Amino acid sequence: MTPPHFAFSATFILALTGLVFTRTHLLSALLCLEGMMSLFVALSLWALQLDITSFLASPLLLLAFSACEASTGLALLAATARTHGSDRLQSLNLLQC
Amino acid sequence: MYATPHILTSCLIIVLIILVFPLLTTLSPHQRNSDWPLSQVKTSVKIAFFTSMVPLCLFLDEGAEVIVTSWTWMNTLTFDVNISFKFDMYSIIFTPVALYVTWSILEFTSWYMHTDPLVNRFFKYLLTFLIAMIILVTANNLFQLFIGWEGVGIMSFLLISWWYGRADANTAALQAVIYNRVGDIGLIFAMAWMAMNLNSWEMQQVFLTSEDLDLTFPLIGLIIAATGKSAQFGLHPWLPAAMEGPTPVSALLHSSTMVVAGIFLLIRMSPLMEKNPLALTICLCLGALTTVFTATCALTQNDIKKIVAFSTSSQLGLMMVAIGLNQPQLAFLHICTHAFFKAMLFLCSGSIIHHLWDQQDIRMMGGARFLCPTTTTCLGIGSLALTGTPFLAGFFSKDAILEALSNSHLNAWALILTLIATMFTAVYSLRLIIFVALGNPRTPRSIFQMNEVDPAITNPIKRLAWGSILAGLLITSNIIPLKTPEMTMPDEVKTAALMVTLLGFLLALDLGNLTGHQLKSTTQRPVHLFSNLLGFFPPIMHRLSPKLSLSFGQMVASQMTDQTWLEKTGPKAVTSINMSLVTTTSNAQQGLIKTYLALFLVTITLATLLISL
Repeated sequence: MTPPHFAFSATFILALTGLVFTRTHLLSALLCLEGMMSLFVALSLWALQLDITSFLASPLLLLAFSACEASTGLALLAATARTHGSDRLQSLNLLQC
Repeated sequence: MYATPHILTSCLIIVLIILVFPLLTTLSPHQRNSDWPLSQVKTSVKIAFFTSMVPLCLFLDEGAEVIVTSWTWMNTLTFDVNISFKFDMYSIIFTPVALYVTWSILEFTSWYMHTDPLVNRFFKYLLTFLIAMIILVTANNLFQLFIGWEGVGIMSFLLISWWYGRADANTAALQAVIYNRVGDIGLIFAMAWMAMNLNSWEMQQVFLTSEDLDLTFPLIGLIIAATGKSAQFGLHPWLPAAMEGPTPVSALLHSSTMVVAGIFLLIRMSPLMEKNPLALTICLCLGALTTVFTATCALTQNDIKKIVAFSTSSQLGLMMVAIGLNQPQLAFLHICTHAFFKAMLFLCSGSIIHHLWDQQDIRMMGGARFLCPTTTTCLGIGSLALTGTPFLAGFFSKDAILEALSNSHLNAWALILTLIATMFTAVYSLRLIIFVALGNPRTPRSIFQMNEVDPAITNPIKRLAWGSILAGLLITSNIIPLKTPEMTMPDEVKTAALMVTLLGFLLALDLGNLTGHQLKSTTQRPVHLFSNLLGFFPPIMHRLSPKLSLSFGQMVASQMTDQTWLEKTGPKAVTSINMSLVTTTSNAQQGLIKTYLALFLVTITLATLLISL
């Protein structure tokens, strides 16, 4: 495996691990979500290395969608903080419907 | 040489002026004396009658007819509407007949409506009706005829609802107006067609320019108009319901004059109908159906005025049959003779009703021959004339029509129905006489307080009796037949009407004898009910059809529009579809996010390692 390949694969898998195994704070989950943006580097290298110009749009799409999801996540965080007082994950079970 | 048209025109216009004069005097606020109906209205009609005899004599002597066009009322570039009177054979003969009958009826009314506080208004209405009828009869163009047509319709409405405190009278008047209106649609359609295609409403121009055109549409319109006004089957329930009005109204309007307006229209338009076999067949079959249906209904009625009303309807059907046979002159002859004996029958019934203190049910009458012999005699004369007893008035017209029907190559079904109706005429007439005049009184009311001393009762009835006896002979001897009657026929055909009538009399006598015996343990309802409830026509048309229409309307408005389109296919559809999807999806997902994400992580790691190594 080439070093760039290893670099962004490792970044992605580590961030995903952090997202899956969060325990206390919602904010840490959101931060790990941003860490999974190494996917952006992966897509750009893929298109550039293999000279497939039609795939060059995909990193831009990923950027746009990540902006949306980051803002959505922040809005959810703010709403949770407003209603529950903190972003601790244990308090999110209280209003289970 | 020039005198005849002048005399003719002057006399006829004077007749109209004499009739209108009492109406004009009512416009002044001056209080009229209590004698006004008798002294003014009846006298004016009497004088008008004698004045109209002059043109009649001139016509009989010289055959003089005249058309008077006096004033152009409206004109556009292409279309003129004039005031023009046509005094031809039909109107010259009909006007004296109508005036004679009206004179007798007005004299009778002065006794009948004596205690009514609004008797002056009643006479005014009757006079207005008479003027409208004369306008209709003497009209030379369809516009003037339409004026008379609507005039008689409105006066009929006002007179039927004379006792407007009675709910039945109001509904009857509404029935009359609505059914007449339906007929008017036909007349207006015919007028519009003629205005568009023939460019005129003057009858001469209509007859001349319609030679080669296909006249089916306007003729069907005219037949619908006659169906409405003359109570043919389909638009007939208003005529028996119109008996809610006072008896003079029934005598004048609904026996002699107004109901023949439809037939008169068809007689006027008969040159158009001659060449159209479809219209003739429609008239024939419609008339035959009317005459037998209404005669059937008359068999079991218990109100004396309803029996006479159905008898009128039956005779109107016979007139329609005559028109369908392409014999307008025979229909006109029957109009004139029928006016006499039918008005007399109504006046006799009015006299009997008043003598029995407003008892109209024949099951409660009886023994009228003791109480009012003159009236009973004239009732008998009228019934005999109605059934076509030889050489009374009805014989000349009825027998002529039946002979023409038997000798024609037209619909045999119509012939059979008309003969059956003739038999029924004899049956219900005899039933009427048996119930009313024969036997002993069955009424519990005190009947011994009135007598026939007032000449206002007996004189009109006697005058009309003379008319019923002589009118047929006089009219047939003096007019020139337009079509040749059939001269030779087998004996049975010649006496068919007479035989059928005698058979009807015998049948009625036999059935009358049966009323004293009880041959079945329970009553046999179905046939009697069909006849007594007028063939179920009023309940179906007046109750069932509006109920269906209204419930359909309600269903469309509330269920179709509000409930279905605005609710169920709109918001509720969206809700129901989405709810089902959401429920299914929610049931499928358990929500174990951590497990799912952990599995995802393991898969990605393994995939990356496997690919890169």
